[in-house]
Amino acid sequence: MYNYELLEHTDTVNELLARYGVKFGIYKNNTFKEQLFPFDAIPRIIEKQEFAGLEAGLKQRVQALNLFLRDIYSDKKIVKDGVVPEDFIFASSGYMAECEGVIPPKEVCSHISGIDLVQGKDRQWYVLEDNLRVPSGASYPMIAREMCRRSSPSTFENTLLEDNRNYAQLLRRTMDYVNTGGHTVILTPGRYNAAYFEHSYLAEKTGAHLVSGAELKVKEDKLYYVGYDGRLERIGAVYRRISDEYLDPMNFNPESVIGIPHIYDVFRKGNVALINAPGNGVADDKGIYYFVPKMIRYYLDEEPILQNAPTYLPFYKKDMQYVRENFDRLVLKDVAEAGGYGVVFGEKMSKGQKEEFIRLLKREPRRFIAQEVIDFLDIDILDGKQTVPRKADLRAFVLMADEPLVWKSGLTRFSRNPDSFIVNSSQGGGFKDTWVLSQ
Amino acid sequence: MKRLHFDYTMQIHYSEPVSTCHYTIKCIPPDTDRQRLEKTEITLSAKEDPGRSRDSFGNQILYGRVEGDHTDFSFHIAGDVSVNRTACESKGKEAMLGLFRYPHGLAVPGEELAAYYRTLKLTGSAYEKGAALMHRLYQDYAYEKNVTDIHTTAEEAWRLGRGVCQDYAHIMIALARLEGIPARYVCGMLVGEGYSHAWAELLCENGWYAFDPTNNLVVTDSHIKLGVGRDAGDCEINRGVMHGGGIQTQQISVSVTEKG
Repeated sequence: MYNYELLEHTDTVNELLARYGVKFGIYKNNTFKEQLFPFDAIPRIIEKQEFAGLEAGLKQRVQALNLFLRDIYSDKKIVKDGVVPEDFIFASSGYMAECEGVIPPKEVCSHISGIDLVQGKDRQWYVLEDNLRVPSGASYPMIAREMCRRSSPSTFENTLLEDNRNYAQLLRRTMDYVNTGGHTVILTPGRYNAAYFEHSYLAEKTGAHLVSGAELKVKEDKLYYVGYDGRLERIGAVYRRISDEYLDPMNFNPESVIGIPHIYDVFRKGNVALINAPGNGVADDKGIYYFVPKMIRYYLDEEPILQNAPTYLPFYKKDMQYVRENFDRLVLKDVAEAGGYGVVFGEKMSKGQKEEFIRLLKREPRRFIAQEVIDFLDIDILDGKQTVPRKADLRAFVLMADEPLVWKSGLTRFSRNPDSFIVNSSQGGGFKDTWVLSQ
Repeated sequence: MKRLHFDYTMQIHYSEPVSTCHYTIKCIPPDTDRQRLEKTEITLSAKEDPGRSRDSFGNQILYGRVEGDHTDFSFHIAGDVSVNRTACESKGKEAMLGLFRYPHGLAVPGEELAAYYRTLKLTGSAYEKGAALMHRLYQDYAYEKNVTDIHTTAEEAWRLGRGVCQDYAHIMIALARLEGIPARYVCGMLVGEGYSHAWAELLCENGWYAFDPTNNLVVTDSHIKLGVGRDAGDCEINRGVMHGGGIQTQQISVSVTEKG
């Protein structure tokens, strides 16, 4: 079935990736550990036609999410019109009062959106999660493609697929679009950050400067890079993955030592673009996920092209009833958690645990969502010389420049463990390149 | 209406030199329906002029950095404010009201405060409920300095049974929100007091009324508002982040007097 010559070079590709430092760091029990991110050479292949459908749906979804963010931090029409209950705004941990009335440059809030999708056995794609706080991962398929081409050029000679190495150009266009004048920088907390490889790689590929917080300073309502000779160079856009809370000790958590004092004051005046904008956490909350299809109808007056996994909100009485009656079939997710944490399967709980969970659900109904367990379409991975089926998802990247741009690739993550549904890299999975066919 | 003169001075001394310091100051009385700032004078020890901005609650901000070794930092803001121009402030932006309806930060009630709330059985208009709440709190809570600090929550302060104006305000806000009345925290100054003060504003039928539970009075012409927010954290008068400095000693002097 797979006759790519590439597959014989899996080890070479992995060695190259290791040599280039394709790693991600995780903190476990307070110690920092760097892990290689195992690459599986069998690509996930998406037909041209199929991807065109995904692309249209992704653009629509990200447009609506951006409009939602603009609305939430200003007039909140969607709340006033009764589409989203205000509980899901004001009681959300991602909502930031500091963003009220602040308009990001060109009104873009989510410049880089990572939309996590899975494909069911019925071939239907479902959105599982929206990530609007500078989702990471695009650099992995980018460099993997590069290394695969290097190890096995012949594989690519006869395959007509979209070149995914243009992510840097798309990102550059996105950053330039919102730049308020001056350089564009990629801010990194340093080499012990989980996404350090990605930061340095994207800086290299986009031509943006890789900087640490200590190299930036605010002066007279503008942000500057301080050169080694003390000269100041104006900064117009900052790509940052550091969380909102730690971004600026003068406006958010005063304990932050990695932030840039007063950077948010500069942003508030419209003198720098922060990529992504602060406050986006209110829109990628798992509770808000339920409302995304409604958002699309509300803001765009269109029917959603992409489907959500069937989701229930115990916040609504009717849904609570359904969740209690169908508990064993459902997966329950804590809205405040991410990275595959806070996810429990009804069928895997003992009777006592279930009763306890239902009590918790009644006490804090807004804290959880319940979803039907999707029967994933397994995809093959290499296990030695054999192929074995595993669960996988796809993180698609949507960039918001003067128009939404969908990267014709994506990060396919799979779980190593045959029984696991959880594909997050922080929990030990691997990744694949995603090929979008061009014909 | 009445005209008040105010004078706010903060002096910070560091036992060791500070190489760089960043400051944010929220200490300029805003123009509202109830008060108008008629004259101000701002002096900072920083050489460079501060940046000026406004936060999401409309509070005016002075901010900047001081570079080069220094052991003192001070600011002085003085001016005239006409107060009590109206009885209450207009409702403001509808979309912001939710912010003052939900528990937040230091004004989150816990079990004991919620239990106390259930004994209150408030009735009448929002204004009447606010007044009743203030009277009850004045009776049931004791004023005592140095038993709480700026990080004390409403629940902790309530369990302790005593505290200062910040605690009275947080407790009152937490209770009003439990009753479904939007409530906000106000930081300001009071005629005759030597330090800053805090009270609560509740959204009543005609607009925001200010209640001072520490003194058991509805605010009329003796208070100057400096900042407003969901809790004390939103209207910190001064925040500083510095490199070096050793031990800090801070001196604040506030005076508010009536102008003839």
